[in-house]
Amino acid sequence: MPIVHLVDDDPSFLTAVSRLLKASGYEVLPFTSASAFLQQHGTDTAGCVVADLQMPGLDGLGLQAALAATINPLPVLFLTGEGDITSTVRAMRSGAEDFLEKTAPKEALLDAVQRALARDARERGARCRHAALRARLEALTQREREVLGHVVQGRLNKQIAADLGIHERTVKLHRTAITTKLGVRSSAELARLVQQAGAAPQPEPTFP
Amino acid sequence: MSWVTVIWSMCAAACLTLAFVHALVWAHDRAARASLLFAFVAVGAAGYAFCELWLLQARTPQEFAAAVRWAHVPLFVWLVSLAGFVCAYLRAGRAWLLWTLIGLRVVVLGLNFSTGQNLNFLEVTSIQQVPFLGEPVAMASGVANPAMLLGQFSALLLLILVVDAGITAWRRGDRRRALMVSGSVVALLAASTAEANLIVWAGLQLPFTISLFHLGMLAVMGFELSRDVLRASRLVRELQASEASLRESRQRMNLAADAADLGLWAWEPGADDVWATPRCCALLGLPQRSHFALADFTDRVRPDDRERITQPLRRALEEGQAYAVQYRVRLPSGAERWIEATGRVDEPEAGRARRLQGVCADITERRRAEKETARLRTELAHAGRVSMMGQLASALAHEINQPLGAILRNAEAAELFLQSDSPDLDEIRAIVADIRHDDQRAAAVIDRMRALLRRQALQTRPLAVGELFSDVRLLVRADAAARQTRLDLDELPADLPAVSGDRVHVQQVLINLIVNALDAVAGSAGSDRWVGVVARRRDTRFVEIAVSDSGAGIPAERLPQIFDPFFTTKAGGMGMGLTISRTLVEAHGGQLWADNRPGGGAVFTFSLPIATAVAAA
Repeated sequence: MPIVHLVDDDPSFLTAVSRLLKASGYEVLPFTSASAFLQQHGTDTAGCVVADLQMPGLDGLGLQAALAATINPLPVLFLTGEGDITSTVRAMRSGAEDFLEKTAPKEALLDAVQRALARDARERGARCRHAALRARLEALTQREREVLGHVVQGRLNKQIAADLGIHERTVKLHRTAITTKLGVRSSAELARLVQQAGAAPQPEPTFP
Repeated sequence: MSWVTVIWSMCAAACLTLAFVHALVWAHDRAARASLLFAFVAVGAAGYAFCELWLLQARTPQEFAAAVRWAHVPLFVWLVSLAGFVCAYLRAGRAWLLWTLIGLRVVVLGLNFSTGQNLNFLEVTSIQQVPFLGEPVAMASGVANPAMLLGQFSALLLLILVVDAGITAWRRGDRRRALMVSGSVVALLAASTAEANLIVWAGLQLPFTISLFHLGMLAVMGFELSRDVLRASRLVRELQASEASLRESRQRMNLAADAADLGLWAWEPGADDVWATPRCCALLGLPQRSHFALADFTDRVRPDDRERITQPLRRALEEGQAYAVQYRVRLPSGAERWIEATGRVDEPEAGRARRLQGVCADITERRRAEKETARLRTELAHAGRVSMMGQLASALAHEINQPLGAILRNAEAAELFLQSDSPDLDEIRAIVADIRHDDQRAAAVIDRMRALLRRQALQTRPLAVGELFSDVRLLVRADAAARQTRLDLDELPADLPAVSGDRVHVQQVLINLIVNALDAVAGSAGSDRWVGVVARRRDTRFVEIAVSDSGAGIPAERLPQIFDPFFTTKAGGMGMGLTISRTLVEAHGGQLWADNRPGGGAVFTFSLPIATAVAAA
């Protein structure tokens, strides 16, 4: 079950929002400061963060920056008591999920939380698939990875054998081992898989 | 003409001259009764001199007897008025003695005309001519009248009266007068009595020359009286001179008072007499007289201002305090005028009653100007507050949106709870309590904002510094939080006394200084941004409140200018905040000044008077 992490220095507001979110069926964990949240922040907890932009000590933007540096960068949704344009722009540029006034309608808040959780689920899935792929690639031998590098560049077995100074039949054996280990059937599929593993999964673009 | 005629006539003339002079003195000064009595003495002496001349030149015993008989009439006048004169002049003598003497002398006068040929002789038997001053004068011999003893006794009474009066005057200190008057009377009486006795009883071959003794006595007394007249005339001259200088100094005082547009007044409470200059009357709308009763004055004063006068008047009279009051008078035209009156009780000179004297002035214009200044200060302060609240608007919106947001979320949560089949009533109760609490929170902020934005004149009353701090904290903490600045506004000495001040205006000063300090630290690195407010008791009269910051401080060359109007270092600033703050603090009787802290940063300190027990009551 994903957890909505609430961070606000105003205990009264914190209680009120957690009541609403719990009543709406969410699992909620309230914190009165950004540092208290970061201290207990786990590596694999799913969910999102709903934070006050203005807080003494580490403020909302600081929290977002600190969270992005961890291996579990949950989406952050900001609440603010005032509509301050400068802060809004900075927050959105840093990839804030949403930016709401504290007095915004309930539907807007719940929608935003829903979106943030959905995004976390998507990003978490992508991160998971990528990690599995990387694990499979880790299983290849040094020679098999050299052969794979040539294969995805579209070179023929004969050319690969000449480049690596090995027999053409040995190249065929390596290719068979690679496709078996990675569970792919065609060269095209192999190329797509390597391309996916090559770069880390990027966050989804925020602005349409 | 014979020598006797010449001498006695001149003697009489001299006496009459003295009589005339002193009668004249009395005519000019009716209080000089001694002079009148002296004139009678002199007239008596003159009459006696004529009678004596008559008897000296008598040709027959009958003529001599008649002369002696008539001589007793001026003698009566002389003796009675002499007794009166001595008593009046020496301001001494026993009244019963005087009246006894007068009564006795009346009897003597009666006997003079009823027994024998006169008081002295039952019958003059013969006269003989004896040479005197080279011519023959009459001398009588005859049967002595025993009633003459009564005359002698009256002379003794006069002697006693005069000696007694002389002793009294001597003891009192009027030694010269006592000696001159009593001495000359005693000498005359001794001499004339001796002569009369010698002539009548011993039959000495000498005419009566008592007039000459009279003249001698009159000369001595006249000299003494003239000295008085001379002294009086010198005193008159001195008095005139001092009156002239008094008039001059009074003119100068009036000139100065008129130039300063001041009215002068003096009140003598014992006689309830108020003296006032024409200017004073004009100021108070009184008719142009120089003397009034106090009620005439107070009638002019507006009824609700009369209390302001009575208490200070009483204190001035009873405790000797300076009298200083301001009150309004109603002029006959119906207009009102503000009057300031000051005065004091002067230690009265000997013989004069205590009185309160002073000046009054028209301060209507000054009061109007003061009122206008106060109004302008109120307006300016209000404008300053509006602008200051504008600066805080965004932070204050946050301060209000926080509880409003909480209320909204709680209400929405409650709706959701109520939609369930078995609502958790405890949770809903907790929600309602929280909603109420947050509502009060928002209302408190709005109340304080509204109080600050209200336009009001300075009203000082006792203020607890702790309450002042908590009100101000509510309004500025959001701004401090938005600027990521630590704001220390909590620590107060436990025994800090309340200050005397206007709640709104003192808050305005404190908020202005805190917002300035927040601006000052905006440029420095995050963890160092700090603004601190402390209060302490400076001495028995003042509390100091200091606002310190961790900013760059104030360059030394700018320190003298920062309180000047329109001096600003901020892009959007008007440069009025500190000017207004200083004006407000000074209107409270305190001070506001700036300094740099030794460890860096600026510190603005202002002092406020401690609320005294009297002010608190």
